[in-house]
Amino acid sequence: MKLSSFTDCIIKNNAIFKQMLGLCPTLAVTTTLINGLGMGFATTFVLVCSNTVVSSVKRFIPAKVRIPAYIVIIASFVTVVDLFMNAYTHELHKVLGLFIPLIVVNCIVLGRAESFASKNGVLDSLLDGLGNGLGFTLALCVLASVREVLGSGSLLGFSITGGVVPPVILFVLPPGAFIALGFLMAGYNWLRRRTEV
Amino acid sequence: MKNNILRYSLVLGLITIISASILAYSYDLTKDRIKEAIRQDFLAGLKSVLPDFDNQPDSDAIITDNATVYLAKNGGAVVGYAVEAVSMKGYGGEISVIVGAKPDATIYRITVVRHTETPGLGDKIKAAAFTSLFSGGSLTGKYAVKRDGGDIDSFSGATISPRAVCEAVNNANKLLYEVICETK
Repeated sequence: MKLSSFTDCIIKNNAIFKQMLGLCPTLAVTTTLINGLGMGFATTFVLVCSNTVVSSVKRFIPAKVRIPAYIVIIASFVTVVDLFMNAYTHELHKVLGLFIPLIVVNCIVLGRAESFASKNGVLDSLLDGLGNGLGFTLALCVLASVREVLGSGSLLGFSITGGVVPPVILFVLPPGAFIALGFLMAGYNWLRRRTEV
Repeated sequence: MKNNILRYSLVLGLITIISASILAYSYDLTKDRIKEAIRQDFLAGLKSVLPDFDNQPDSDAIITDNATVYLAKNGGAVVGYAVEAVSMKGYGGEISVIVGAKPDATIYRITVVRHTETPGLGDKIKAAAFTSLFSGGSLTGKYAVKRDGGDIDSFSGATISPRAVCEAVNNANKLLYEVICETK
């Protein structure tokens, strides 16, 4: 796999800003940066594992039952992540707990399994999973930073505005998620257009 | 055709068996740590609502028909009681509080252990500024937000969350009062 296709997964074909996949967890968990990081890394781990496994067993899976087979593989990894997060990062799990099982139905994961891992080699699939996962994490972090700074006046829990500027509560609420994502996406497209011309 | 169905089922069956084994192993690997993490969480909650104690309140508990009341002892004497109570009427669902009481039937402190209230609005029920409103109150008093004719100040933008906390506290107080009366 060429390096360029790996970086393409992160920026050019970014799962959220470009493909607009997996928006449900994106909008739901990005109230603080630490949530975004946690969700991003959990999804990246699942993506890397499921892509690797799907790609290595693709020869044995008949085409007609491939979707249920992928879902079982993905769901198993998600449950493993869920258990280990609960045991070792209990505080983070208390916040993200509700959204971890939902990684199973995150379209990025099934999307990469179906459109990439089932057609490419193990190493390429692993890198593809890693790239897409990092792209997802990056997008979550950008969105979460914007929302935490504007909505709570802090970043990673540390106060930034020092209470001088009142926080705009709207940004930690669901409508704020849509508004922030909309502006970020506009910015992303604007930058892309400028760099391409 | 028939052969194919057999093959599909075998492949799927094999995948699920392998997955189940991995899951069972992971569960076994993590279950003790998860149990301990949940217990530590709960103990931290108890610690924040009870006066200084030197026992393990979760093993020194009175189990009544309706609830488990945790006893805090210091030097052998009972210095506090705590109970967990739940209200289903939160804005985001269940709100769970632990209320700690002193032997003279007054509230020592309360803490919100679990909730799914809106960040930035309803989640202020966790703040000390709100939970301290209950401290020192009598166990026999009824607690309600100002809008409902009580004297608990709800904060701007949210009435439902504090109202649910009041309900949970009232439930807890009843349980605590019964146990304190019985043990006296």
